[in-house]
Amino acid sequence: MKILVCIKQVPDMESRFKPAADGLWFEETDLAWRMNEYDEYAVEQAVQLKEQLGSEPELTILSIGPDRVVEAIKKALAMGADKAAHIQDSASHHKDPWQIASIIAAYAKDNGFDLILTGMQSQDRGSAQVGVLVAELLGLSCATTLIGFSYDDGIVSAKRELEGGLKGLVTLQLPALVTCQLGLNVPRYPTLPNIMKAKKKEIQAIPVATLLSEQASAPTTGFYPPARKGGGIVLEGDVADLAQKLVAILKEKTTVVR
Amino acid sequence: MNFELSQDHKVLQDAVRDFVNKEIKPIAAQIDEEHHIPDALVAKMGEMGFLGSYLPEEYGGAGMDMLSYAIVIEEVSKACGSSGVLISAHTSLACGPIDTFGTEEQKKKWLPDLNTGRKIGCILLTEPDAGSDAGAITTTYRKEGNEYIVNGSKIFITNGGYLGTGVLFATSDKTLKHKGVSAFIIDLKTPGVSILKNENKMGIRGTYTTAFALDDVRIPAENLLGQEGKGFNIAMDTLNGGRVGIASQALGIAEGAFERALAYSKERKQFGKTISELQAIQFKLADMYARIETSKLITYKAAWMKDAHLNYMVESALCKMLASETATYVTKEAIQIHGGYGFICDYEVERMYRDAKITEIYEGTNEVQRVVISKALLG
Repeated sequence: MKILVCIKQVPDMESRFKPAADGLWFEETDLAWRMNEYDEYAVEQAVQLKEQLGSEPELTILSIGPDRVVEAIKKALAMGADKAAHIQDSASHHKDPWQIASIIAAYAKDNGFDLILTGMQSQDRGSAQVGVLVAELLGLSCATTLIGFSYDDGIVSAKRELEGGLKGLVTLQLPALVTCQLGLNVPRYPTLPNIMKAKKKEIQAIPVATLLSEQASAPTTGFYPPARKGGGIVLEGDVADLAQKLVAILKEKTTVVR
Repeated sequence: MNFELSQDHKVLQDAVRDFVNKEIKPIAAQIDEEHHIPDALVAKMGEMGFLGSYLPEEYGGAGMDMLSYAIVIEEVSKACGSSGVLISAHTSLACGPIDTFGTEEQKKKWLPDLNTGRKIGCILLTEPDAGSDAGAITTTYRKEGNEYIVNGSKIFITNGGYLGTGVLFATSDKTLKHKGVSAFIIDLKTPGVSILKNENKMGIRGTYTTAFALDDVRIPAENLLGQEGKGFNIAMDTLNGGRVGIASQALGIAEGAFERALAYSKERKQFGKTISELQAIQFKLADMYARIETSKLITYKAAWMKDAHLNYMVESALCKMLASETATYVTKEAIQIHGGYGFICDYEVERMYRDAKITEIYEGTNEVQRVVISKALLG
């Protein structure tokens, strides 16, 4: 079995973001970077499957971006993946989900992956489109927002998180693609000895130009912080007056009072 | 010249930080209150490889470098100074000398259990009347057949209470001063070793600081570490490495307190604005940050020098001295920024203040560090 896990390196969400000079994305200097949280669930699930099948599957990691994304790749290798492909792209943040999915599909199509795992979305762009687009491009069966996963004899049984607390159960025949949600598992820590072992694992560097042939279908045209909120409304007057004003506001602005 | 951490060091830092935030930070106050690091946490740190970071893989270590070791202790100490010194004393003061001075047989026998945390290590050097003057130890040994018989007492032994593996210093003849000192590897469960007490302390309360009595303790001759009479050199070399560990601990404590003070200054409002908008607080933050950055540079440099096999005696003294004084300064100012709340245990900076003080004292007082540095300067 061949497994591919697609990961993205994203900024630490505790960071203070400001728009970049081009007005199309955020400024990257001074940010701390991490593996996208949802992708960690994908890596963990793949490593667990590898352990279940007695180490037989070959587990490949793929990440697109500049040199710094190798840090996220090395973490995934230290968690138990076997090898990796680094799609070198210093402008990956300007690509839309369609282009990113096309790059992944172009890499995956000749590699015969039986199972592809991705996060359900990235923490920074949050489009939640890449996984399903890759599945469509490769003609794979696909299930999204997994909070449960089991595998037996060519069949993936997946528990999906639906809206309103509902859950759905689906089965997928391999080859398949699944996207992973919070609650699926608890990602392991890369231990120091495993970080050392990861140093010896192969990371294939592939220039993005060799895989990209698509134009953006939804290019970003602007990026800006939300407008600063005003200081709120301070009501003044006697109690009866205040109550009337408050009811009027609640009627006008909300559905609490009709 | 490059001041950027390598990608591998960043991966390590990220992994340790993640572990610390989930496994240590939530229980740091409990560790202080209960005077105990949960055994489960010690075991987890062992599984992570924190207890053998720079020791060779063939003896169960992680095979990393000294800078990795510094990063591990720094990150752990941001949350918990007790856990930081457990790692430092264990690795630098027990694993370190066995790896540097031990025979192949000794390394194979003792290091795997230490490096994986199955046994916790300590150094038994200090005595009631031999602190900074390590050559004045009076614990004696004599050889009898295939054994050394040791008698005396040891105090202030970090990690002693685990009764794991110790590196013990004793003299054949105290009139010989430092020339009479030899080093031994000792299993602290050996008959004749008894704990007099585990000290009740101001800070790093989660760690054992143990006083031992040694009565006719029989140590197999094969446990002699290095050559007879060379124990003092082993002790001095060991403390060089130890100082990088303590500097990293102090640095981490300072950074932990600084993070809290910075965040608090942006939340706390007085006079209609956050206190971070007051110049009095801004200047404190600038001074704290300046000392942290200086200490970090020299600590990483000392680690880098050890990795490059350069003589790092002066740098190890410098980083220990600077980082520890940074720790006491920054934690004190962190309390001041918190005002009255800083004096309340819930806000944790008071614990960091208590944890910081010992870093100016142990593994060579800062006065001894100044002796080391000035001696080197004046040749």
